[in-house]
Amino acid sequence: MAIRRNSGLLVEPPSAATGDIAFNLIVFFLVCASTQPDSGRKQQLPKSDQTQKEEQKQENVQVELTRQNIIINGEPTLMKDFVKRMKTKLQGKSRPEDKIVVVKSKPDTPYHHWISVTTRIEEAGGIVTLQLEEEKQVTVE
Amino acid sequence: MKVKRKKLKVEVPSMAMGDIAFNLLVFFVILARAQDDGHLQWTPAKAKNIESAGNSKVSIVIDKENKLYLNGQETPVGQLAKAVESNLGKLPAGQRTVTLKVHQDIAAQRFEPVIEAISQAGGDLVHILEEEK
Repeated sequence: MAIRRNSGLLVEPPSAATGDIAFNLIVFFLVCASTQPDSGRKQQLPKSDQTQKEEQKQENVQVELTRQNIIINGEPTLMKDFVKRMKTKLQGKSRPEDKIVVVKSKPDTPYHHWISVTTRIEEAGGIVTLQLEEEKQVTVE
Repeated sequence: MKVKRKKLKVEVPSMAMGDIAFNLLVFFVILARAQDDGHLQWTPAKAKNIESAGNSKVSIVIDKENKLYLNGQETPVGQLAKAVESNLGKLPAGQRTVTLKVHQDIAAQRFEPVIEAISQAGGDLVHILEEEK
């Protein structure tokens, strides 16, 4: 006599664990999303030195930034011409100290404008240095 | 006649041990990250050719409200250089990365002293930006 194999066995995953599994998946993706690596741009700034010689400052290219405008050595420049003009200014300068570009920003210059200009200075081969306005305390009697 | 009470074996289900351990692990990971600056609101400026910032021990944020944070803690700009220096300790060059996250509309009078403080502390500055498409 042939024995019939019982094929009516149903194997179901335990439904009690579904909640736990869903919770663990949510937490896993949450942690993954919050640990996304940041990306950005390195910027090497020469250490601030207050005893910088005035004559050296004169030799370096100076870039003045206002809220919307860019001025290279006193000449207003458009953003599209900036890299070209900066390359011309830095042409023939091989020593790192000669490639220093002094950036002087008006207090209301926004960060996005500052970043786009300093990115272009580095693209042209310049080394960005900041010139900050010194805070002076004035006592009014 | 005495009726013998049936002894019931009570055991902690060992099936759940893996789940419990995993949940504890996740809990402590989140707790360790609770001091970061993920909760701060700022919009990055856009730039081309950006690269991975790598790991950094120090993160500075200037958020939408013009407030300055060092590793998630609000810090006055006057104390920033010393605080960054103590956070970096005696780390060798190349491992002294300081990430700077500045909201795109913040003015120079606010972010430039921060950049100067990082420079004074001997940190390797990395501006956190968004890729311009």
